[in-house]
Amino acid sequence: MDKQTLEEERFEIDRLTILDCSKLKFYKDEGNFISLDYDGESYFNVRLTRLIPFFSKTTYISVAYDNAENEFCEIGVIKDMAELSEDQYKMIDEYLEYKYYMPEITKVYSIKDNSRGFIFVDMMTLSGRKTVCVRDWYSNFRMLTDKLLYCTDVDGNKYFCPDIEKLDKKSLQVLEIFV
Amino acid sequence: MNLLLSAPKGHELSEFLFALPFNLYGKAQKVDGHLCVTRSEILVYIDGELKDRYDFNDYEEYACEQLVGCSMMVGRIDDRNQRCICAFTNENFIAFAEVCKIINHYITTGLLVEQSDIDEPKCPKCGLPLDGYSECPYCASKIKTFSKLFGRLKPYKGVFSIAIFCTILSELLNVVSPYINRILIDDYVQPQNTSHWLGFAALCGAMLLVVVINTFLDWANMKASRYVSLNLGQDLRQDVFNKTLDLSMSSISKKTAGDLINRVSNDASKLQNFMTDYGKNAIVRIFSLVIVIIIIFAMNPKLALLAVLPIPLVLLIVKRAYNTVHMYFGRAWRFSNAHSKLLHDALNGIRVIKTCGTEEAEIEKYRVASEKWAKAASKAEIVWNLVWPFADFTLTIGNYFVLYFGSLMILQKIPSFGTLTLGELIQFTSYVGMLYNPLRWLMQLPRQLADVSISASKVFEILEESTDVRDDENCVDLDIQGDITFDHVFFGYKIYNPVLKDVTCKLEKGKMYGIVGHSGVGKSTMINLILRLYDVTQGSVSIDGVDIRKISQKSLRSQVGVVLQETYLFEGTVLENITYAKPDATFEEIVSAAKIAHAHEFITKLPDGYNTKVGNKGHTLSGGERQRIAIARAILHNPKIIILDEATASLDTETERQIQEGLNELCKGRTTIAIAHRLSTLSNADSLIVLDKGRLAETGTHDELMRKKGVYYGLVMAQRKTTKMKAVAQSPRPNALPANS
Repeated sequence: MDKQTLEEERFEIDRLTILDCSKLKFYKDEGNFISLDYDGESYFNVRLTRLIPFFSKTTYISVAYDNAENEFCEIGVIKDMAELSEDQYKMIDEYLEYKYYMPEITKVYSIKDNSRGFIFVDMMTLSGRKTVCVRDWYSNFRMLTDKLLYCTDVDGNKYFCPDIEKLDKKSLQVLEIFV
Repeated sequence: MNLLLSAPKGHELSEFLFALPFNLYGKAQKVDGHLCVTRSEILVYIDGELKDRYDFNDYEEYACEQLVGCSMMVGRIDDRNQRCICAFTNENFIAFAEVCKIINHYITTGLLVEQSDIDEPKCPKCGLPLDGYSECPYCASKIKTFSKLFGRLKPYKGVFSIAIFCTILSELLNVVSPYINRILIDDYVQPQNTSHWLGFAALCGAMLLVVVINTFLDWANMKASRYVSLNLGQDLRQDVFNKTLDLSMSSISKKTAGDLINRVSNDASKLQNFMTDYGKNAIVRIFSLVIVIIIIFAMNPKLALLAVLPIPLVLLIVKRAYNTVHMYFGRAWRFSNAHSKLLHDALNGIRVIKTCGTEEAEIEKYRVASEKWAKAASKAEIVWNLVWPFADFTLTIGNYFVLYFGSLMILQKIPSFGTLTLGELIQFTSYVGMLYNPLRWLMQLPRQLADVSISASKVFEILEESTDVRDDENCVDLDIQGDITFDHVFFGYKIYNPVLKDVTCKLEKGKMYGIVGHSGVGKSTMINLILRLYDVTQGSVSIDGVDIRKISQKSLRSQVGVVLQETYLFEGTVLENITYAKPDATFEEIVSAAKIAHAHEFITKLPDGYNTKVGNKGHTLSGGERQRIAIARAILHNPKIIILDEATASLDTETERQIQEGLNELCKGRTTIAIAHRLSTLSNADSLIVLDKGRLAETGTHDELMRKKGVYYGLVMAQRKTTKMKAVAQSPRPNALPANS
């Protein structure tokens, strides 16, 4: 093996492999888990991860699997799911919606502070109205950017609002004290 | 734990053993789903209709997997054959995990447990998670907590009584001053009586005496309070620290180090301050409030009613106003905190900022944070200045009524109220003024009480926690030979996640054993069980045929030596660190142990020899040197069983070779159990125990296992491949310049 080949081989590991969407063939196995045929190789039970979940739901999706030694092996990254065929897109989107189930907050009715580090947020989400209890709210009810509100309740369920400025005036007034 | 939560439409709970609701199905859509378990199968209902049906034995294992925003229950035969049974948001995660555990138990033993015996980790009263507490600190009986707290004053009750006595006397003297004032005004100032100078001088002297006595009482009170406060704080801190060291690892690991430090120092000192400041003042202020109310009602009940009647309503309004102000100040505090963090970040990372040329971006970030803080602080001040004058005015509104009606009484314009002298009115208004100070103070009391009761609950929880790994009544001090047996051992740090599953093996005395397997497979857990840092969930671990739960912990741990990957050196000298486990060792023994551990040579080169301070975490020593001190410590300890948990993992090959010589000396004739990721380190082990997914996969010598081509063979091959790749990656770049160019 000459030195040039060694050099190429070494940097292969560091390179971000963008997957060719036309060659990707995702399918559901019997247990409803997603497997993949790509470039002549078969991968069972692949792990799909949104690399930038708060900024984009459909771009930069990592496709990986655990090998026999339980080591993380990344097959590559889907740059934009829009390049997938319609049925492939649907399958992947369905899986990711499950994995990242995170109702979007559309209205905040009230926030009550019980003076013990817990707040109770009465809000409307895309999955219905809910009052959630947030512990240690300085850390679990906060702005990730100037616009994005991120909330994790005591049970570990997550909620988000992509842009609080788009909420109605009353919701903003309620939120003002807490964010 | 209740695992029978709700039944699907058209069914009764009594039809099932367990029934749990789930809410996600198909494209993460909300559904009304139920997972029901009967004696032989699992039924999945969606909107009351039976959707899926599984026999317990359809899968080898059931598990709950946490995704990012929800969780799912999975049935699994192996990595390739698994099925998602249902998905749910996390409210009932623990309940689903418990159902999986019960079904798995049935699959391995054939016994179906019908009642879950684990505790609900939520407070039954407020529903909030208990977070490792045995009782909800927010819902614990406040009276019980405070009576326990006051009970701790018992040893200092004499001095504490002096403090209370002085404060009460001082408050009573305060009541005397307005009375003297009244006599002065009515008898000397108003009639312009210049003939009784003696009486006037006596009254002035009395006023001076009141001031002098008050000063003395304050001094005595402060001295007594400080004595009680310091001693009480010391007692609390010491007791919490003693108890913390006595707790089992499973109790300790439920709490973070920060949390424990908080309890030892912050919570204890909060209680200390409360007991001698707020607690004592609460008694005194309430007392003075009662005395003042009695006096004003005795002086003139009608005027007194005018002063007291608006108070409840006013208190309600003022409390709300206070809460609003508090929230705005809290917000300003958060922004100030964010500003400090940013400043801290920027100044610590100033090299990075300069090298990346991002000064302008950082300045902009700082400007935004600073502006947000300024705006929030200014808003809080505006709210405060709007609310406070109004709140204070309304609180003291009774005084204006008293002044108005009191003046009318002096002028005798309302005969039904009776008459009043000027001195009496001034005395009365002084007393009414004395009502408001305790009231302002008492308004803050509920918040203080809530805060302190939480701290008290946290402190008492530790003080009253009974450790779950405790010595049996009939435990023995065993002279250990070194035979260790694992008999069908099951164990998990969390109930829903068993780490060791049905592990059975026998380790003979005097031999060396290596435990190998992937990360997280349960290697360190086996060691924790031998040390009895945790108790097994099922099965038993025994030493020389005696269950370790029957051996006293002190006797067990004094005969087991441990060398870990990261050696913790306590603040002190090399000598103190070596003798940590045997403080009475002679200097000859210490040097001999250091020589065996190959530590003597480097210690003699240190400036102060064995008296060299090793400082915080021993950072002044290299990793290899710290390990050698740990080995010397273990040799001096003279254990019957040696545990090496990745003892040489963080060292380079050359240092590892040197340390290995020390370790070989240490292990001679002792049962040795070693864990190492670098499998070559274990090549001279008498036997290897190979774990795979928490189960014992195979045992044998290196050669036997290589011939078998099982899990161990796979591990060795994978490691060889990685080593080769590393070697390639470490070879010089073809285009790189030579080092001396």
